[in-house]
Amino acid sequence: MPTETPPAQFLGDPRPAVPPPLDRARELGIHQVLDIEGRPRGDLPDPDLPPATLHRMYRTMVLVRAIDERGWRLQRSGRMEFWIPSRGQEAAHVGSAMAMDADDWIFLADREPGAMLLRGASLQSLFAQFFGRAGEPLKGRRLPLLLGDRALNIVPCMTQVGAYIPHAAGAAWAAKLRGDGTRFIVYFGDGATSRGEFHSAMNFAGIHRPPIIFFCQNNGWAVSTPTDRQTASASFAEKGEAYAVDNLRVDGNDPLAVYAVTRQARERAGERGASLIEAVTYRLGFHTSSDNPDLYRLPAEVAAWERWDPIPRLRRYLEDKGLWSPADEEELVAQCQAEIEGAVAAAEAMPPPEPGGQFDDVLAAPTWRLEEQRARLLADLDGGG
Amino acid sequence: MPISILMPALSPTMTEGTVANWLVAEGDKVGPGDLIAEIETDKATMEVEAVDEGVVGRILVPAGTENVAVNTPIALLLADGEAASDLDAAPPPPAIPAAPAVAEPPAPAVPAAVAAAPPPLEAEVPAGTAMVAMTVRDALRDAMAEEMRRDGNVFLMGEEVAEYQGAYKISQGLLDEFGPRRVIDTPITEHGFTGLGVGAAFGGLRPIVEFMTFNFAMQAVDQIVNSAAKTLYMSGGQMNCPIVFRGANGAASRVAAQHSQCYASWYAHCPGLSVVAPYDAADAKGLLKSAIREPNPVIFLENEILYGRSFEVPDLDDHVVPIGRARIVRSGSDVTIVAFSIAVDWSLQAAELLAAEGISAEVVDLRSLRPLDLPTLLQSVAKTNRCVTVEEGWLGCGIGAEVAARVMAAAFDDLDAPVARVGGADVPMPYAANLEKLALPDAEAIAAAARATCYR
Repeated sequence: MPTETPPAQFLGDPRPAVPPPLDRARELGIHQVLDIEGRPRGDLPDPDLPPATLHRMYRTMVLVRAIDERGWRLQRSGRMEFWIPSRGQEAAHVGSAMAMDADDWIFLADREPGAMLLRGASLQSLFAQFFGRAGEPLKGRRLPLLLGDRALNIVPCMTQVGAYIPHAAGAAWAAKLRGDGTRFIVYFGDGATSRGEFHSAMNFAGIHRPPIIFFCQNNGWAVSTPTDRQTASASFAEKGEAYAVDNLRVDGNDPLAVYAVTRQARERAGERGASLIEAVTYRLGFHTSSDNPDLYRLPAEVAAWERWDPIPRLRRYLEDKGLWSPADEEELVAQCQAEIEGAVAAAEAMPPPEPGGQFDDVLAAPTWRLEEQRARLLADLDGGG
Repeated sequence: MPISILMPALSPTMTEGTVANWLVAEGDKVGPGDLIAEIETDKATMEVEAVDEGVVGRILVPAGTENVAVNTPIALLLADGEAASDLDAAPPPPAIPAAPAVAEPPAPAVPAAVAAAPPPLEAEVPAGTAMVAMTVRDALRDAMAEEMRRDGNVFLMGEEVAEYQGAYKISQGLLDEFGPRRVIDTPITEHGFTGLGVGAAFGGLRPIVEFMTFNFAMQAVDQIVNSAAKTLYMSGGQMNCPIVFRGANGAASRVAAQHSQCYASWYAHCPGLSVVAPYDAADAKGLLKSAIREPNPVIFLENEILYGRSFEVPDLDDHVVPIGRARIVRSGSDVTIVAFSIAVDWSLQAAELLAAEGISAEVVDLRSLRPLDLPTLLQSVAKTNRCVTVEEGWLGCGIGAEVAARVMAAAFDDLDAPVARVGGADVPMPYAANLEKLALPDAEAIAAAARATCYR
């Protein structure tokens, strides 16, 4: 009896390992504060952030890593449907989100849970979102990690890659037309720069100068498509040149450099308008829980990037400044574990969203058609169908 | 109580898999992160990690078992202090109740919709109101100007809307009155400027986005449907998108396939949108003013041929027509003709033809395609017992299909004949004058359908 051939998974061998561009940061014009060892020897001056700010930055990054590890295991054991890893990208989003003011608007992509934490979202509400429970701002309607909360000035992300880049530019433009001082940042990946909306938004931003930071997290891979198949440009930042938008490349695994350039772009936004920041980073994990990166990239490439892991780099910087000790580290790790365990247990015990609630918020006020559907569903559930 | 280890879903689409290998045996101690098993799917082989700490009490599914459904318990884990004798107390896996399918009731004698419907149509214009003659073009312009005066957050954006005053001259005078901050020419990128408008609506403004025609808005459908229409829902009710998308829809004259399509049913299909398609100048003005005040995204379908047509418009400071109400534009007793936009014109002509033959046709102008004013339709059909739908677009999955299904479901016993549909030929629009004419419905085609429902 002939055996069935399983469907091909990926044609060809994994791509030969490409060394991290950070190894040649100066040559490639990638701005840094920290070197690979976490010493302030980059081309940018040490921003000398206050200890409390540095601690908040480091704690958030460690907590994001712990959430990612816990969520991954929950997904792998079937307790959660889906996961989008953020491993390796903690510095890029935590550093930049911290550089924005609390009233500034953030448009999320999908690997920035730290932005939610920085704005005060509770761990339990994050895990409630991951589990699809009631009582989180998005009412169980979005996939895990597709986060947002308007109350925190974080716009819930759109699933279509890059389609929301003009929304951010449009909202920033609205703020400018209204004359308020709000600033905006929008996160997207290297793959999104191939979308027409990226170019439309940049073009518009060059003309109308809305106060916005286009923050591209170039993590090396768009699922299995490497950056050299995404663009033949020397960088993603230089695409800003065509639209007269200020642009630069920064070491996305250097939270101090990310913080410094984002803060600068924010301060310029009122006068100069838009900036494009390319944060050169790397997706250490899977694209999502539905992916298998071993099919298209080599362990050696990942290992080379592990050396640039942003967390040990910032920790060494803190230790050298006398701001962190092994005891602090031990305490922080234990604290993160305990907080996450508590949040997982509490969130998993929360009830699912109420049936009938799915007819809310389709329109600002329900039409007869929505009310009819709701009534029928509730009657069916009540009468056993 | 022992912890059930369930067959994991390694991707959202996975429904079953093979337990390829156990990496632990009964009696082994495991902790969070320890590898316990290998699972194979049609996509990949994955290693499963323990989440909790404990001792493997029992392996329920042996290695090599295929087609193990997701969420099936595959092993039991004993927590600290539990013994093998506790194994039989393990809880069953959580049952996930199947969602009841959304089905229409099979034969609803009682139109449930009517009970939940808006109150009956009230007079939209107070008795004794003076009327003035006005083109649809001027009515649309006046509606925008009045709303822009009323609310400083309302602005107009689109290709050629400012200095050129619109490709169809709908925005005449607006730049002069409101200046370049509120009447904005955009680069030629429908998905781009639509996205910017959506963002401006998120940011607290009330944009009116003009599409030169809705044919070009196909590039922006993702922005309209995925972004504008779904954000209120996806944000858990936190962010609405008050925005109007307006422009010419459907066939004009001799502009062929890519400039002559009717998008009414495309947008009327989508939850989160309101869709209106006025016929005369009074409704164009009153509905556009309503659309601009709506908290939801509104698709406002105009017709190029009607732009220059004059109608009587109430001479009121604030003439507003509510969205979601149809209007009986001609009363009759033998057959109901349901139409919208320019098809109302053809239907009124058909009603004249029919009157000459002794058939009294009632013409209902839907005006709003989403939400549909079902009560007005049902009242009319209850009176005439016959129904003909008319649209210039393709019939498949069209507005007429929706009306026919709803009328049949809610008023089956009122009908003396099957609902008839009249629409455009099921082909891309040809250019040649004779072929174009043959691709569009006209009064005679409507009259023929009406006669058929009357068995004449």
